Amino acid sequence: MNVFALEFPPVSHLFEWPDIIFSGSLFAVNKTVLIYLAAVLITSAIFLTAGRQRGSLVPVGVQHVAESGVTFVEESVVMETMGPEGKKYLPFLTTMFFFILFSNIFEVVPGIQFPANSRMAVPITLALVVWVIYNFVGIRSQGFFGYLKNSLFPPGVPKALYLIVTPIELVSTFVVRPFSLAIRLWANMVAGHLLLVTFAILTHTLWNNGYVGAAAPFAMLVLMTGFEILVSVLQAFIFTILTAVYIGGSMHAEH
Amino acid sequence: MRQRGIRLGLSLLLATLGLFVFAVPASASGETVGGCMAEVLEHHGEIHGDVNHEHVEIQVHHLHEEELQDELEGCFEAPSPILPELNEIIWGGGAFLILFVVMVKKGFPAVKAAMDARADKIRDDLDAAEKAKTDAQSVHDDYEARLADAKNEASRLIDEARGAADQVRADLVAKAETDISEMKSRAASEIEASRQQAIADLRAEVAGIALGAAEKVVQSSLDDDAQRRLVDQYIDEVAGS
Repeated sequence: MNVFALEFPPVSHLFEWPDIIFSGSLFAVNKTVLIYLAAVLITSAIFLTAGRQRGSLVPVGVQHVAESGVTFVEESVVMETMGPEGKKYLPFLTTMFFFILFSNIFEVVPGIQFPANSRMAVPITLALVVWVIYNFVGIRSQGFFGYLKNSLFPPGVPKALYLIVTPIELVSTFVVRPFSLAIRLWANMVAGHLLLVTFAILTHTLWNNGYVGAAAPFAMLVLMTGFEILVSVLQAFIFTILTAVYIGGSMHAEH
Repeated sequence: MRQRGIRLGLSLLLATLGLFVFAVPASASGETVGGCMAEVLEHHGEIHGDVNHEHVEIQVHHLHEEELQDELEGCFEAPSPILPELNEIIWGGGAFLILFVVMVKKGFPAVKAAMDARADKIRDDLDAAEKAKTDAQSVHDDYEARLADAKNEASRLIDEARGAADQVRADLVAKAETDISEMKSRAASEIEASRQQAIADLRAEVAGIALGAAEKVVQSSLDDDAQRRLVDQYIDEVAGS
């Protein structure tokens, strides 16, 4: 049914998965969608279960996972970029981190082996949400013109340089940013998936042609699988921390 | 081999499930290159289906060659992977929204509350422990001070007792010595008195005897004073001899 990675899919299916139900409609469900839903279920399950386990002084199991995640986002993302006043964005950033992480990590889950973020849908949606949030925060905290002025005319730059700086800032802050954010995540997952598929197919083919040659690509496959776990976590972290940096940057005028 | 068999069986089972439960059309466009080409060809065939088969092929070949070529080439072109699919945006965005609502309303506050409760508990426990330690320290100090006092008191008492004992002993010794010397001197004086008494008694006795004897010898009576003087003289002589 083109969901479980039990056999190598046709190359056209590396990223494009056929619809499973509601085929052809706006609500067509395919493997990518199932992974998004799985990410929602897993994250919800972890947090709802962890929230019930009270009273134990030393957190164990899912409670530990949830609390480590929250602490990680709080200390390594929020406090590093926004400081204490960014704590109100902690639920949003934590949700984003876990959602992206679990969408990514299915890249190495046996039987599924597909990173949902190698499809552009979620990266671009989240990036646009982030774009809306940081612009909204900027306008709310600095006023519309104050925000524009601080964004387009960063203080401390010689006046003549504004000729160059302002168009660059205009394009980079208001146009390129959401796309760079989305494409960074998407392209990393695409590249990772292609690498894994390439080595997997190489291993499979060479195994069927005399076993011995499969050792090298298999070793690479194992290595790359480990590497992709790192990339999955890292990209979730990078997406989250950049979101925090953008929102934090809009909260205060640059000095 | 066995695993392969299991995998094969599982694949078949899932494939069957996929076919019957999810009813994916086998000819879904874009699913495979071959399927796509077959569909394109079929589509062209349907347009000209009113004539015989051979004629259709000729017509396809001659009249729609370019159009068909383009469509067949289209089968090899996947949609641009960078363009998001609308259904995936809807599901992905919806999934994130649902997760966000669940997290904000339920999951996150519960976990954060548990963490804060634990942090508070640990802080309180540490404070309590610190307080208990301070209390224990003060109790300990107090105890130490009292112990030192008690020790001082004890040694003072011992010294005092020792001094008192020494005093008592010295007093006793002195008293004993005094008593002894008193007893000695009393004994001596008693002895002396007894001796004097004995001498006096003896003298009186001897005087009586001597007087009697002298009376008998001289047959003359002397007055008492003369007699006593003679006797004393006699005794002194006797004593002096």
